[in-house]
Amino acid sequence: MKLLIVEDEPKTGQYLRQGLAEAGFGVELACDGLDGEHLALTGDFDLIVLDVMLPGRDGWQVLRAIRAAGLAVPVLFLTARDAVEDRVRGLEHGADDYLVKPFAFAELLARVRTLLRRGQGQTQETALRCAGLQVDLLRRRVERDGKRLDLTAKEFALLELLLRRQGEVLPKSLIASQVWDMNFDSDTNVIEVAIRRLRNKVDDGFAQPLIHTVRGMGYVLEAREA
Amino acid sequence: MRRLSLSARLGLLFALCTGAVSLIAGTLFDRASEAHFIELDRELLTSRLAGFREVLAGVDSPQALSTRRVALDTELARHPDLGLEVRGLRGEPWLERQPGGEQHSGGMSEATAVRSLDAPLDPQQPDGPQLTLLLDITHHQHFLERMQRLIWLTVGLSALATALLGAWVARSGLRPLRQMTELASRISARSLTERLPEAGAPAELAELIVTFNAMLARLEDAFARLSAFSADIAHELRTPLSNLLTQTQVVLGRPRPLEDYREALHSNLEELQRLAQMVNDMLFLAKADHGLLAPDRHPLRLEKELDAMLEYFAPLAEERGLVLSRHGQATWPADRGMLRRALSNLLDNALRFTPDGGEVRLDLTPFDGGVRLVVANQGTPLDPGALPRLFDRFYRVDPARREGGREHAGLGLAITRSIVLAHGGEIHCESDPGWTRFILRFAETPAPADDLRCASRDH
Repeated sequence: MKLLIVEDEPKTGQYLRQGLAEAGFGVELACDGLDGEHLALTGDFDLIVLDVMLPGRDGWQVLRAIRAAGLAVPVLFLTARDAVEDRVRGLEHGADDYLVKPFAFAELLARVRTLLRRGQGQTQETALRCAGLQVDLLRRRVERDGKRLDLTAKEFALLELLLRRQGEVLPKSLIASQVWDMNFDSDTNVIEVAIRRLRNKVDDGFAQPLIHTVRGMGYVLEAREA
Repeated sequence: MRRLSLSARLGLLFALCTGAVSLIAGTLFDRASEAHFIELDRELLTSRLAGFREVLAGVDSPQALSTRRVALDTELARHPDLGLEVRGLRGEPWLERQPGGEQHSGGMSEATAVRSLDAPLDPQQPDGPQLTLLLDITHHQHFLERMQRLIWLTVGLSALATALLGAWVARSGLRPLRQMTELASRISARSLTERLPEAGAPAELAELIVTFNAMLARLEDAFARLSAFSADIAHELRTPLSNLLTQTQVVLGRPRPLEDYREALHSNLEELQRLAQMVNDMLFLAKADHGLLAPDRHPLRLEKELDAMLEYFAPLAEERGLVLSRHGQATWPADRGMLRRALSNLLDNALRFTPDGGEVRLDLTPFDGGVRLVVANQGTPLDPGALPRLFDRFYRVDPARREGGREHAGLGLAITRSIVLAHGGEIHCESDPGWTRFILRFAETPAPADDLRCASRDH
């Protein structure tokens, strides 16, 4: 997977490149709008992370050029000002998603993966598994090591999300958005509590914990080496 | 063009009025005196006519006239201001005597103004010789001219005097206004506490002063809030920033095991996330302040939204044995995302202040042209003094929690209120022993605040 980052702020660009590279992507970084546009039009990228405020050509112009060239590559916008939010929403210049700075890297990573997955077309799975954990999506049954687990509807949805994206760190805001349709950052510790309760059912009494807290970033479901 | 001051304007208008009035009065007086003189002259001439008729009785030719010359001269000498003309039947002049005894035949001198009276010599013979009596009225004319000059002088002087007096009167009459201007010009951001004296103000200005003072009070309040807000921002940012600085510097101070660095970074991350959340919340509020919140409103089944919120908070409630319930149904156009954010803050708040095992209930009450939504929780009552301030930014009920409150920046209720306001609604809080209620009211036509307060008491 090849990603292009167009970001003029050197520190931000550098950290984004490092973070995304360490998450397993091939990353190129352009430091202004002209370079970015050139790279976007000539390189073959799977996703472009585009800052709106750029010297030379701003993000809108770059995006327009990309779409004018007939490229359908997903574009994730980074905006520094909340006011632009409405424009992104309203005008739908062809951006696929956006993040308002300051954002959490975990959030960016989760969005990037969502966009890339969207492009691939989702396979209709009927069952998800991780180590001894099995989820039957059709019959909505959960078993671990052959033992039936009794989950509420929301706990089931939460577990399904964690399983579908196992190995990915999912930030609280993404979980709130995907499971409860709460699309805003909030102070509440609802997600913490919900995860704890799910963990009680899924992990308690089993030797290997599957649901892990990544401090300050979010939660991940994976079978870690002991 | 420079605008005239009110005093100058009033002075000029007064002068104009006085000038006009005295001019009219003068002109009337002038006309009246002239008419009076004409009347006097006519009476005089009529009375003299008899004497001349007597002297000239029977005269029917110039020859007969010359025989009466002596008597005529005597009569004329007795009245030096009179002149006399006698004309024959066909108007031919038989005799011409100008007033003052001069005897030239060609008209009258220009300096001499005369008034004349034509009459037949013999009243019995209207067709007979004609007599014209001439009266020298030069002194009358002089008098009238003097009087006209006097009138003009009076007009001019009185206009000037009223202009000056009027300007002075206006200036002293407008003194309260000037004082107000002075005071108003002294008021700056630092002296918003000053007020115009309401006592002793003229009735016309009293209302203006009251309005002006009310405006000052509103400004003072808004300014105080703004100053407090800026101070709060600085304060709220300073705590996490100084934590970050100190911790990073201490950690970097000497070599440490890897785990310590990891721990420091995690701790920094938590602080930074709080900062980011606060900045985002403040941007949201700034947008609201600038009227940039544009709710994308669609009719929503509010009971469904409330149930979704309760489902979201259910894990939290179960942990603490709280009972959550929703009552009533209503449909109202709202922006789902914003509404959820507002409700989330209210519920978070309600859950936090409910003792374990307590109850939180949501009530929906549709009324004619609106919806009332109440978020009520059990718990110790809030200090009545705190109620109006609950929605202020960074306001926290318990001051002890101000310093570095772990998760709550104190912006939640401010955000809730800005969302409610953006939907044209109202929100306030009531607290009594047992229950604390946040009452949201959405109406097609917003109700006045007082009405709102009374209407909500009965719940």
